[in-house]
Amino acid sequence: MKEQNNIQDINQEELTPQELQALREEQAAKERKFEKELLPLIDALYNFAYHLTYDHENSNDLVQETYLKAFRFIDKYEAGTNAKAWLFRILKNEFINQYRKKSKRPTQVDFEDIVSYHDQDDNIPQSYVDLRQEIFQGMMGDEVTIAINSLPVDFRTVILLCDIEDFTYEEISKIVDIPIGTVRSRLHRARNLLKEQLKKYAVSLGYKDMRSKK
Amino acid sequence: MNHARNNFPTLMNRVVLYLDNALSSQEERELLLEIQSNPQLKAFFQQEKSFREFLRNKVNRKSVSPALVQNIKDKIRIHTNS
Repeated sequence: MKEQNNIQDINQEELTPQELQALREEQAAKERKFEKELLPLIDALYNFAYHLTYDHENSNDLVQETYLKAFRFIDKYEAGTNAKAWLFRILKNEFINQYRKKSKRPTQVDFEDIVSYHDQDDNIPQSYVDLRQEIFQGMMGDEVTIAINSLPVDFRTVILLCDIEDFTYEEISKIVDIPIGTVRSRLHRARNLLKEQLKKYAVSLGYKDMRSKK
Repeated sequence: MNHARNNFPTLMNRVVLYLDNALSSQEERELLLEIQSNPQLKAFFQQEKSFREFLRNKVNRKSVSPALVQNIKDKIRIHTNS
C-alpha cells in the first residue's frame, strides 16, 4: 500500500500560504471522513480484536494501530464503500504483524500458531454436528465466548466474521486472504468444532441426550 | 430440486448457504419449497437457524472506553497539526 501525501509528511516551509491552507482543509476533510465513517465501527473492531487476543490492553493497542493506519491510508478508502470490511482487513493484518514481532521474542507470547491452517482441502465435508436446541438454550454469554475462544484462531476468525459480524463469504475471503471455497470449508469445520465444545460443556453440566434411549 | 431430493447432505449444505445469505433468489425459493415438504430438512433448518441466532445473541460484546476513542482522535490531530 503506497501512502498518500499527509500533512505530516510534507515540509510545510516549502509551501505557499495558499497551498498550506488547501492542505489543512484537505486534512480537516480527512478527519471528518474518519470520524463519520470509520470511528463508529470501533466497537465491532474491538470485539474482533478481543476475540483474537483475549486481552483488553492488547485489543486496545490493536484497535488503535488499526485506526492510525486507516487514517494514514484514508485516501485509499472511498466514502460510502465497505468501511467495515476494510478496517477488519487492516486489523487482521496488524494482528498477524504484531504476532510475528512477538514470536521473535517467544517468552513474551503464548499465542497459538496463527499460520497453522487446518484446511486440508476446499471440499465441504458432509457431516454436521447435531447440537439440539435444548442443549444451548440455557447457556449464558460467557460459556459461548469461552467456547469460541477455545477454537484455533483461524476457525475463530471465520465464525466471528460470518456469524457475529455478518460478512459475506466474499468479504471474508478478502479480509482473511483465502479463497471463497476455503472460507466455506473452514466455516463448516469451525461450526462443528464449536458445537462439539458447547456439547461437552452441556454434558459437564449434567445434560443427557436422551434420543438414543427412545 | 427433485434431483437433489435423495441427497440429503447436499440439501443440508444448501440450508447453510441460505442462512449465510449465499444463495440466489431462485435458489432460495427452491430451497424453501423443499424445506416445506421435507420434515427432516425442516428440522435441520430450524436447528441451524436457532444456533446462528443463539451465537449472535449470546456472544459477549463490549464497548470500547471513551478514553480509547479520544486517544485515537488526539493522535490523529497530533499528526495533522505537526
